[in-house]
Amino acid sequence: MNVAQQIINGLVLGSGYACIALGWTILLGVARLVNFAHGQLYMLGAFVTWYAMTRLGMPYPLAILAAIVALAILGALMQSAMMGLVMTQNLTSLMIVTLGLGYVLQGGSALIFGGNPQTIPGTLARAKVDLGSLWFTWQDVLVLAATLALYGAVWLFTQKTRFGSVIRAVAEDPKLAELFGINAKVVYLLVFVFECSAVALGAALVAPRSPILTSMGFNEVIMTFVVVVLGGIGSIGGALAAGLGLGLFIAFFGAFVAHAYTTAAAFAVLLALLVIRPAGLATK
Amino acid sequence: MKKTIKVAIALLLGLTSPAMAQDIKVGTIFPLSGGAGPDGQSVTNAVKLAIEQINEKGGLLGRKITLISKDDESTPAVGVSRANEMIAEKVDVVIEGWNSPVTLAMQPILARAGVLDITAVSKSDLILAGETNPLAIRINSSNGFDAGVIAKYVVETLKAKKVAFLTQNDVYGNGFQTAVEAEFKKLNFSGQIVTTEKFAFKDTDFRVQLTSLKSANPDAIIVTNSSNSSGLPAMVEQYRQADLKSTFVGAVGIMLPTVFKVAGDANNGIISADIYFWNLPPFDAIPESKSFVAAFKKAYGVEPDKSAALGAAALQVWARAVEATKSLDRKTVAEAIRGKTIKGTVFGDAQFLPNGQLQPRYVVFKVVDGKTAKLEALE
Amino acid sequence: MTVIESRSTNQLPMARSAAIAVLIVVGFFLPRLLGGTSVAYSTLTTIAIFAVMCYGVDVVLSYLGEVSLGHTLFWAVGGYTAANLSVKYGLNGWSTALATVGLCVVAAGFLGAVTLRTREFVFSLVTYAAAVVAYEIAFNWDAIGGSDGIVGISALKLPFGFATYVGGTQEELWPIAFVLLLLTLAFIARFRRSRLGTTALMVQMNPPLAASLGIDPRKVRLAVFLISAPITGLAGWLYAYQRAYVGPDMFESYFLVMMLTAVVLIGRRVLVGPLIGTAILIAQQNLLSLGGDWNKIILGSVLALVLILGPTGLVGFFRRFGKTRA
Repeated sequence: MNVAQQIINGLVLGSGYACIALGWTILLGVARLVNFAHGQLYMLGAFVTWYAMTRLGMPYPLAILAAIVALAILGALMQSAMMGLVMTQNLTSLMIVTLGLGYVLQGGSALIFGGNPQTIPGTLARAKVDLGSLWFTWQDVLVLAATLALYGAVWLFTQKTRFGSVIRAVAEDPKLAELFGINAKVVYLLVFVFECSAVALGAALVAPRSPILTSMGFNEVIMTFVVVVLGGIGSIGGALAAGLGLGLFIAFFGAFVAHAYTTAAAFAVLLALLVIRPAGLATK
Repeated sequence: MKKTIKVAIALLLGLTSPAMAQDIKVGTIFPLSGGAGPDGQSVTNAVKLAIEQINEKGGLLGRKITLISKDDESTPAVGVSRANEMIAEKVDVVIEGWNSPVTLAMQPILARAGVLDITAVSKSDLILAGETNPLAIRINSSNGFDAGVIAKYVVETLKAKKVAFLTQNDVYGNGFQTAVEAEFKKLNFSGQIVTTEKFAFKDTDFRVQLTSLKSANPDAIIVTNSSNSSGLPAMVEQYRQADLKSTFVGAVGIMLPTVFKVAGDANNGIISADIYFWNLPPFDAIPESKSFVAAFKKAYGVEPDKSAALGAAALQVWARAVEATKSLDRKTVAEAIRGKTIKGTVFGDAQFLPNGQLQPRYVVFKVVDGKTAKLEALE
Repeated sequence: MTVIESRSTNQLPMARSAAIAVLIVVGFFLPRLLGGTSVAYSTLTTIAIFAVMCYGVDVVLSYLGEVSLGHTLFWAVGGYTAANLSVKYGLNGWSTALATVGLCVVAAGFLGAVTLRTREFVFSLVTYAAAVVAYEIAFNWDAIGGSDGIVGISALKLPFGFATYVGGTQEELWPIAFVLLLLTLAFIARFRRSRLGTTALMVQMNPPLAASLGIDPRKVRLAVFLISAPITGLAGWLYAYQRAYVGPDMFESYFLVMMLTAVVLIGRRVLVGPLIGTAILIAQQNLLSLGGDWNKIILGSVLALVLILGPTGLVGFFRRFGKTRA
């Protein structure tokens, strides 16, 4: 029982979950918008990275940037289309709209990028590090470092800057914030663009671990769901802790019990928590 | 003058002979979109090519064969709709099945409508159990036979003392493992099964399982993973990264071209078996296989893999049976296949068990160069 | 009935009933009118079953204003109950239907209690999580079917004392599906006007008024949720007999997306909305399929556009259009 290696495995998995979950939890916390297109956006981020590197010959760092920019633009377009529903806070319709948009992204990506699996070359995913009997890759280190940096930056931004407090005000009470002259529309737009950019970054960093397919969707990021709800919706520190914690849980549950049941176990824990403390999760 | 007479006679014969017979319709239902899209497309292409080869030689029963191809999107509910559409279009046979649940859902529909149903790839044992379709026919091998080949190799050739399993957690994976364990008993396996690690079909990260397997340090790990487009290549790469010294023994048929393409030389040293290789004996000597390979390469730029061979064989088996019985009736044709031998397919002589299962011929191989998918046949 | 209430329901009740009767008769003979082929029967039976499936979600959406992403759970409960009980114990259709209703109510009771104090997206997320857990259980529990599911579900048998109605072929299953659809429509029409229905609407639209009238919103929520479950469950029950095969695919997003699309496409609280929505979706899939990828694009676009341009569905769209023309 290689405990040390499993801890490393857990941190690797967990930092991936946390990285991908950040955008979703902020969007949920600020705009109360459940973005069911999250999985397809992840897939698109991965494919834009791949396309930039293999077809446009960009180096990895530039491709990451390309993915972020491409998805940011897409996010702005999507949010503009949904703006009417967002302003009237028609949350149920919004959820279904993102589901529909996710489908469009999936079908469109399959037509553009094809159905074959692709690998993202030239990343650090193959650069192994051996510390005695322990191993991980430089990409894992990159993901962990980037995740921590991203979380730190976002936390500082929302807590210390003026714009951060504007966002928190809109999250707290949009109508009251509007009375104070805050343009909620702009805030919502920026938050959605952030979610898309963050998931693009997450995809560019995490997707190289395995082949990418245009059929990837919500299933691939289903753990995001657990991370966000466990960590407290909208809570930045919570998402980080929940992400890393979930990764470690999966590593140890998988090692000691049975890896095939980890999804069931994670969701069962989630449901149990929701039964015991449902009030702690709603922001209103 | 002679020419005019010839033309006149031809016209006369054309007028008096029975009305030009309608084309024979062959329907295929495979996933053409989604994760298994490229695989389903390859099988459909193979069926298409096999049909073209027959049409070039004059058709079947003197009639041309047309192909109607539909996409089941790997979803049973959609497959059922497509099956109903095939029935409405009055096809004479349906060649189907990449995902077992889709096949299982379509079988009763086609059986009820009296349309002959040949399963090309789906592996579930329930397909031949007789409940969904009493006249089922399946081309791909079953877990039961597969287990025998792998178990024999591990026990007798590899002489492994400690064996572990890395199994996909579903009926397919668990069924294969159970079958292998049963074969171990039959072969009086004197070693021990040190551990079993499982994973879900959709998983792409296996570090946790590989770490546990490394600690157990078996001589061989029997791997069952049918996710040839994402999970399996990732697993192969992580296997090498984790520096496992145990021999990677893959279940029969999992090493498809996409695994080689994606994981490249991480595949080197993998042992597995399959039921068709265009360039390995005995298949490289079978005339139908050679001509099919040449035509496939010409039409699609790549040699056919096992899945394509399954599609072609399905069509050929059916066509030969139709020729032999001079009938398109479901029961007649099915009974000419089940429990009989059909000659002249890409597999050579295709021998069927009474329950409709094609008896496979296995080639055990070792991967010499993963990048070019160069294999070395063993035994 | 007071003077304030509309008197329109008293006008021409005979004509209305006659019209409905004609529609019912035409509906029943629709497959025969469309050619009487087995495909006509199977398509219409499928539409009827899926429509009933959607009505469960519709009840929750229209009367609680919430999107339930967990109704695939009840759909699967119905299918698995019918499959397991009929294959393993040979029970007839009445028994399996009763068991379905019972199990759905129990499951809904549990899930409803859990979601009692949750609202909107948290409600949706919790129902989604429940469906995921149920899927994992169904996938891994070999005793109830496992990952390959249960095959060989025999024909539906409904004994009537003197004779037994056997539903084996599509032609035989159509009347049952049609009757199930009619019962569902009648139930919802009645539910609209029932105490619970109107109370639920009031709670949704004007919570303070409801509170001032002493209504406990949680009891109402639970009751509506409990009622919605067996509707979808019975649809799953009949689906098991129609398809003769049940598996974890019952939890797939294919059914969830159909439920959501059919319900929002036409509009909320339109009685035949889900039925028309389902018919449109099945028709597109069967008759106008452009391949898996294009189908996804079309479905997604329609879903997004209908809600963006007219959040109250196509009905609202037409109403608005009609108003501007007037």
